[in-house]
Amino acid sequence: MARLAPAVTLPATPNAGVPAAVRVRDLTVAFATADGELPAVSHVSLDLPPGRITGLLGESGSGKSTLALALLNATPGRVTSGSVEIDGVGDVLALPAAGLRRVRGAEIGYVFQASQNSLNPLKPVGKQLLDLGRSHGERDLRGLLGRARALLEDMGLDSARVLACYQHELSGGMRQRVGIVFALVLNAHVLILDEPTTALDMLSQAAVLQIIRDVHAARHLTTLVISHDVGVIGELADRVAVMYAGRIVEEAPTGALLAGPRHPYTRALLSALPRIAGDPELARPLPGRPPDLITIPRAGCVFRERCPLAMPVCASAEPASAGPAAATGPGGRRVACHAVPGERP
Amino acid sequence: MIEARGLVRTFPGRGGLLGRDPVRALRGVDFTIPDRGAVSFIGESGCGKTTLGRILCGLEDFDGGELIIDGRPLSRLRARQREPYFRRIQMIHQDPYSALNPTHTIERILGAPLALRARQRGENDGWIRRRRAELLELVGLDPGYALPRYPHMLSGGMRQRVVIARALTVDPEVLVADEAVSMIDVSLRLGILRLLRDLRERLDVSVLFITHDVATARYLGPGGELYVIYRGQVVEHGRTDTVIGGPVHPYTQCLLAAIPVLRGIEEPGPQRPAPLGALDERAEPPGCLFEPRCPFAAPDCRSKRPALGHLGGTAQEHACLYPERRAVVPVPAG
Repeated sequence: MARLAPAVTLPATPNAGVPAAVRVRDLTVAFATADGELPAVSHVSLDLPPGRITGLLGESGSGKSTLALALLNATPGRVTSGSVEIDGVGDVLALPAAGLRRVRGAEIGYVFQASQNSLNPLKPVGKQLLDLGRSHGERDLRGLLGRARALLEDMGLDSARVLACYQHELSGGMRQRVGIVFALVLNAHVLILDEPTTALDMLSQAAVLQIIRDVHAARHLTTLVISHDVGVIGELADRVAVMYAGRIVEEAPTGALLAGPRHPYTRALLSALPRIAGDPELARPLPGRPPDLITIPRAGCVFRERCPLAMPVCASAEPASAGPAAATGPGGRRVACHAVPGERP
Repeated sequence: MIEARGLVRTFPGRGGLLGRDPVRALRGVDFTIPDRGAVSFIGESGCGKTTLGRILCGLEDFDGGELIIDGRPLSRLRARQREPYFRRIQMIHQDPYSALNPTHTIERILGAPLALRARQRGENDGWIRRRRAELLELVGLDPGYALPRYPHMLSGGMRQRVVIARALTVDPEVLVADEAVSMIDVSLRLGILRLLRDLRERLDVSVLFITHDVATARYLGPGGELYVIYRGQVVEHGRTDTVIGGPVHPYTQCLLAAIPVLRGIEEPGPQRPAPLGALDERAEPPGCLFEPRCPFAAPDCRSKRPALGHLGGTAQEHACLYPERRAVVPVPAG
């Protein structure tokens, strides 16, 4: 009588198939400057709902990449407050170095900004994948390559060819796909993409956006997309958090936010957007310039100097960022503005 | 006015023992840049649009066809003789972060070309100072603020304004803007586009706008013209509104359908065609160049290469055997 094969123990992917939630609470990341230590991210709370795509929209210097790197506990700044809780992992900011190494890759996959240029130009892609496996103590390197091939084929690429290619032999769109493979090949269930389509033309961008949507759905990921491009966020994200000067100034479901932005910054940004539809004459440039670490107002509302609705209170009190993100719920919205009534729990 | 007739540029193929097939960056392109005009070229990476801009600025030679500047054909002129013509065409680079010398103040960045200009015109230092302030004000910068500063102390939008002011020091007739807003913060892009539009009116300059972001081409003011270029060939050309409002070439339709839709305020066009596969620069199809990727290709597209014309009585010129208007552009919701 044939014996039943023993139950296969899956490698450490605790919640395989079940998307993980990420909760950022009261996160502050500061950088040392000539003017002392200044926060690039200030008391930010944000939920990445499991299985959803969250968009983080912000201009250069808004702190969006600093926030995203903090999810990996890899920010070059100093975390001065807050926590980043991931289901099945705990607080990433409290993990020891060894645990952190496992979490990066096995739990969180990160596609870096300009990942088109972040491959090693001297090694073919396949060799770099093996390096990645070895540095993470992966014993089944053959399995790892198999997973990489499957991912590449899913993205419509000839996997044997891509693995044998050097960086310069791949187009921008192909490199971006390779970046996604590197992020997911260790079976991460949280995927972070920082400006996934910069430097791509419209056609490659549309293809990469479709791939992100497909990979997200097929692998039950919890995804964070960071971009300055409202179009990219509008195409991908279920919810959007708008970041300005290190704060989340507004958060809402994507359709609701684009149709009815409430924060004066979001409103001004959307009406300054060159668009393919509608009357170009109705667009209004946004006055002033986005602040950097040094020029962010130290007291009051960070947007007040460019704000058409600024009132005396805006100079003295920073508007409450509508409490913890969790209080908003999946369909809820929050706005951090003295001039916008309601929405605060 | 600038005219290009059958402009050709071919690069030798690289690598391989026997050499590879040459890259045909421009395959006989005709266009006109009218005075005070706004002419936009759109297409994906590798379509030849950057080569075209470089040829216009004299940074690249052409090896066929003719470039006529102010009535003068350039092909028979030597490089030295061409210089005064090319000086009338100034390039605004994509990257305002690397286009300015980081060790020079804005005062010096604008002062150097103005000093040359002053010598040509017999003007004194007072003229340089006045002109410097004038140009900065023209591009929307406060001279008192900008002059003593180094490029890194300015935002991307301000730097791009300095780049434009520097281009204006030689009183050009044409500004060639190659992806001039793609590296600028979203909230500042409209300001730069408005500036280019205003310069057309105030200084009588024309703008040659090279971009992959079709939407920005709509913001250069009235009377704009759009050329859609694919593998070095113009496949559709007409008034910007006409082409965006009713594209007839499948390639234009794929480009327009790829524009992200702003959910909540826009809806995708009823049709959203996408090209079949990626651009293969090595393949040289005998018929229509776009046929291998065209979602609407018919059998004879594989053997016949259509020329630019008004086949089917279209308002715009196009190079397609079966032109058909398709609603591919996102439309305002509701």
